[in-house]
Amino acid sequence: MDTRLAQRRIYIPLVLTLVFLALVVVVLVVAGRQVSSTIEDAFNAATEVRTARFLVARAISQQLDEETGVRGYAAVRRRVLLQPYYTARAALPASFTRLRPILTGLRMPGTLAVLNDAARTNRRWVADVAYPILTFKRVPAKIHLHGKRLVDRYRRDMEYVEDSLASRASQAQSRARRAIYGVSLFALGAVAAVVLAAALFTIQQYRLAARFERARVGAEEERRRAAEIRSAYEAEKRIADTLQGAFTQNLLPQMAKVRFSATYLPAAEQARIGGDWYDVLELSQDRVLLTIGDVTGHGIDAAVAMNRARHLLVSCALVDASPGAVLQRANCELFRNGSPLITAVAGIVDSRSCEFVYATAGHPPPVLLEPGSKPRMLDFGSLPLGVMKDSSYRTYRVQSVPGALLVLYTDGVVEHSHNVVEGEALLLQAIEAAASWPEHNAAAMISASIFSNRRIVDDVAILTVRFGDDAGSSVGWVA
Amino acid sequence: MGGVSPEIEIVQLGGELEISRKREIRDTFVLSENARAVLVDLSEVTYADSTALTELLRFCVAAQRDRTPLAVVIRTRQFARLVQYAGLAGAFAIFEDREGALAYLNERIEA
Repeated sequence: MDTRLAQRRIYIPLVLTLVFLALVVVVLVVAGRQVSSTIEDAFNAATEVRTARFLVARAISQQLDEETGVRGYAAVRRRVLLQPYYTARAALPASFTRLRPILTGLRMPGTLAVLNDAARTNRRWVADVAYPILTFKRVPAKIHLHGKRLVDRYRRDMEYVEDSLASRASQAQSRARRAIYGVSLFALGAVAAVVLAAALFTIQQYRLAARFERARVGAEEERRRAAEIRSAYEAEKRIADTLQGAFTQNLLPQMAKVRFSATYLPAAEQARIGGDWYDVLELSQDRVLLTIGDVTGHGIDAAVAMNRARHLLVSCALVDASPGAVLQRANCELFRNGSPLITAVAGIVDSRSCEFVYATAGHPPPVLLEPGSKPRMLDFGSLPLGVMKDSSYRTYRVQSVPGALLVLYTDGVVEHSHNVVEGEALLLQAIEAAASWPEHNAAAMISASIFSNRRIVDDVAILTVRFGDDAGSSVGWVA
Repeated sequence: MGGVSPEIEIVQLGGELEISRKREIRDTFVLSENARAVLVDLSEVTYADSTALTELLRFCVAAQRDRTPLAVVIRTRQFARLVQYAGLAGAFAIFEDREGALAYLNERIEA
């Protein structure tokens, strides 16, 4: 498991849990403050209601005192009986005055209006009933009747105020109770959520730990396997490198009138010996056998097959003079032995006559560049070696001239971009450029020109032959 | 494909044929027992490495050994050149389109 991903998998649930807990705390604080405010309001309202109800009771009592005083005086006309009237008469307005702001504060405008109506009724009773009784010795019965109606009205109003206050007290209590229930429920929910979050976090951590353990075991297994593969690969590479070193022709023949150069570049990525080879073998003073080829595949198997093929071709060349016959004989032998598919060119260069006789087997065509001409691809054809038992290979004959450059190569030279048409065009350009520097290593120049800014995706082998008429200048190169 | 005789087996691949597609290539290049002729349609192939070319060659050779008429359709220039390298052009019937290949195979079947 990727370390960053693993860390994210640890921290994301942790952070989410902490964020959730923080949210719960914030909501609890806000809700607590809200509930506290609601309870405080309810408490204050209850206190105010209690005071108001006391004042209402007192106002009723005071009005009763007024009425009792006036009635007593009307009955016996003794002024001492007016004492409760005067006491209540002095105190009643104060009761109303104290009640009004309380009702306003409790937001009970309807009740306040009824209270004011009661105060007005009281004043009318004083003016219409108490005053005539206290002033005149005899008052008509209708005054008494009017007084009774006013007193009844006053009491109804005050009872209404009392009922409203009782209802208001009950509402405040209900609100406080609801607030307490709400916060209790929320607290319970928060506790449950916290417990749930903690449980989920724990489960998640447990699962992550299990996954880490599996990943650790898997990674360890993968490392072990990779080490084994690397070790096997390195062992194979050591063997392959040794074989490669042994197989590469380090010194090309030095002959009069002809100059050779060659290069071999292994594929950049595989770092393993490929199946490409080239060979230059002096058959006589003037005749040289050239072979170049490519065995399908890489590694030790390809290297061994390649070595067998190149020696087989040399052996066949010692028996048959014609390159076509050489390939045919080699093919029969390779096919019989179940060889992997091999592409090759076998040719004989006559340095004296500048003649090149050759045959190809599934291989890219040789290129010939003659002085004053453009490079041209020579004729080619036939199946690779090892495919069909009775394949036939045609021998081609090319009469060249001194100064000409003959280039043999393997498919890695032209297939680097997977577009062989483009690859051939680049090769021809590189050959043309290399031909103008006859004193240089042509094979190295061609490979440098093509691969200076391109990756070598497959093994590359290049073998060049320059025909010359200056016996003293023949030198063999290997890059 | 309409108009193609059921006796002609069509084998088709496209794109770049590389070693990474070895299993697919190997599974495709299988000659069925009932086929009286095979059309190998590689018209969409742009590149084949030596592994793919080996599979193609072996398939063509197997068909030839079984005396099953075979025609290969190749359209892209770069792949045609690779096939030329491999010597297929001289050994097997190569066509630039299916019509030509089918006509060739029908002739062989009738003969």
